[in-house]
Amino acid sequence: MTVTNAPVRYADYLRAIGAGRREMSYSAILLPAGRDARGRPVPAPATGPIRLHPDEILALLRPYVSVRFLDQVKAVVPLALYLALFQILILRQLLTDSWLITGGLFAVILGLMCFMEGLKLGLMPFGELIGHSLPRKSPLPLVLLITLLLGIGVTFAEPAIGALQAAGQNLSPERAPYLWALLNPWSGALVLVIGSSVGLAAVLGTLRFLYGWSLKPLIYASLVPVLGLTLYGASDPELAKVLGLAWDAGAVTTGPVTVPLVLSLGIGIAAAAGRGDSGLSGFGIVTLASLFPIIGVLLLAFYVAGTVTPAEIIAAAASLGEDTAVLAWYQRSPWVEVILGLRAILPLVLFLFIILKLVLKEDMPRPSEMWLGIALTVIGMCLFNLGLTYGLSALGASAGSLVPAAFMEVPAATGSPLYLYGVGLTLALVFAWVLGFGATIAEPALNALGVTAEQLTNGFFKKRTLILAVSFGVACGIALGLTKLIFDLPLVWIIVPPYLLAAALTLVSSEEFVNVAWDSAGVTTGPITVPLVLAMGLGFGNATQAVEGFGILCLASIGPIISVLLTGLWARMQAGLQQRAADGEPVAHHAQEVQSLL
Amino acid sequence: MKDDKITYLTDVALITCIVTAGRGDRVIKAAQAMGATGALVYHARGIGPRERLGLLGIAIEAEKDVVSILVASDYQDAVFEAIYRAAELNVPGAGMAYITPVEKLATYIPREVLERVSSQGRTP
Repeated sequence: MTVTNAPVRYADYLRAIGAGRREMSYSAILLPAGRDARGRPVPAPATGPIRLHPDEILALLRPYVSVRFLDQVKAVVPLALYLALFQILILRQLLTDSWLITGGLFAVILGLMCFMEGLKLGLMPFGELIGHSLPRKSPLPLVLLITLLLGIGVTFAEPAIGALQAAGQNLSPERAPYLWALLNPWSGALVLVIGSSVGLAAVLGTLRFLYGWSLKPLIYASLVPVLGLTLYGASDPELAKVLGLAWDAGAVTTGPVTVPLVLSLGIGIAAAAGRGDSGLSGFGIVTLASLFPIIGVLLLAFYVAGTVTPAEIIAAAASLGEDTAVLAWYQRSPWVEVILGLRAILPLVLFLFIILKLVLKEDMPRPSEMWLGIALTVIGMCLFNLGLTYGLSALGASAGSLVPAAFMEVPAATGSPLYLYGVGLTLALVFAWVLGFGATIAEPALNALGVTAEQLTNGFFKKRTLILAVSFGVACGIALGLTKLIFDLPLVWIIVPPYLLAAALTLVSSEEFVNVAWDSAGVTTGPITVPLVLAMGLGFGNATQAVEGFGILCLASIGPIISVLLTGLWARMQAGLQQRAADGEPVAHHAQEVQSLL
Repeated sequence: MKDDKITYLTDVALITCIVTAGRGDRVIKAAQAMGATGALVYHARGIGPRERLGLLGIAIEAEKDVVSILVASDYQDAVFEAIYRAAELNVPGAGMAYITPVEKLATYIPREVLERVSSQGRTP
């Protein structure tokens, strides 16, 4: 046995045993396709589809799906946990149908995931394409008309609108006849009115981009009719019950479909007109889109009040109750959500498609991807609707109906009232406050707004400051809304003074803060917050024997306007003080410092 | 079972083609027709003889597309020629292309391809 003393390099040894690697020629894995004219080998063209094994498909899809799934989980689960824990620990009530609610929440997560992804793949490229090429090919009036129609279309597609309609089903026609009429026989007209208001807002917002108008006069011009109609409505005891719905409609419209689609169209128009990003160009539409629907819904309510009497509505409701004893299959639970989902998305897609084909005469880029996106949007919307019924709304309603048990007698909760009146009331309000704060701070749209605000003010207004200010405002708004329900205060006295205050603050604030503040109101009311808060408000209203549970959402949107405007003023004052300190004589500054040290 | 062995691909060449911005797509199409699996496009600004051409330099766009394509070195000449013709590099100011030898390449190789290769290796 001979032992060689020649040294062996470790790398050579590793290569010799082939540890963890193997080599092959690249040409070995390519399919040869013969030789060319000069006798050289030529590979087959790499254009055919690539076939993968199921496990490879899984490995490819897993990182893609998990990121999107977790995004929605992060938004939904903490809120649901908070609601459930509050019920179990503070109210000592077990959740009813907990498995159904869990399944519903899962459907919400899955539905939102599909919906958002489908929006990104299918509807957004559509909107961008149209926004980009429409203004070049068509005259301005036609462009504005299409913007108006698009505003109506996106409102139908907004998931939160479905929540508003669902909320109308458990109202009693006897106590609030006009409200019941608006949400039941007139619900189609209601959505149409809200949609036209959003469309008008989109048109005005686009004109604002084009001509560089200031937002302030627009806010004043729309606040005057809004507040005027509200005061007029409040003078009639029957109409006063509709006010909450009208104000909430404004908050509901500015959701995840409307904002990006209408914005992409508006920015495209402004860019085509040569007035590109001034930084502020993205703002304004959201503000107007949350003020105009209030006017629209109030006018519709006045029209309904002018044509039918409460007695007729109650009679109609009674006959309806007899008719619908046996519901057709398409009116029963799993199917009605699916049909709602289809009805929301398909008209919008059809409208966009017609514009693309007839007005622009263009083809879809990457059609298969866009069709997949549209299919995902529809599936997501149906799943979301199902989840809304069984999960979010159920959870919100049960929380809403049980929270009052903390301070008053509620038949559903044994041993209520659980606490002394004062303690229980405080607990309920703190619950609402924390819920509002948590729901808002997790809203992804708010993060995006924070980044924009930071850029607009050159980092002087921090993203974190904005998120905290908005969340604080929403939380206070929701707590205030709950107070309104508990003591059955008239909405008009709660909503008009804050808006007057906001108008006064707008007068003294700079343009940047006005834009950010008024838009932050629309941003806060996303697809998770709206159904949860609405259902909670309605449940709360039922439990406390209030006539209607609307009005919380609109208070949740005025809250951030005021808080952001105040924060902006405060930040400007701070900056002014710093400036003065820096400008002042350094010696005097030094002397002051010494004094303060002493 | 997951194969934790790295498969290195050898005999690879990198073809880089620099053309006027916006003309990168036709280079990629030509390369794909010749079996290239993928391509990477960079947008770049070129500085070179353009400045020495005087006023004629305005005819050459400074904005460039840089297309990099990995091909098997057996086919490098065939692909290179196809790219040369597609990009019309025989015209002044159109751009340039070059081949760099690549020592090794590693990426995920679909199992179907690996199985086909190993079965081919066993039969002879």
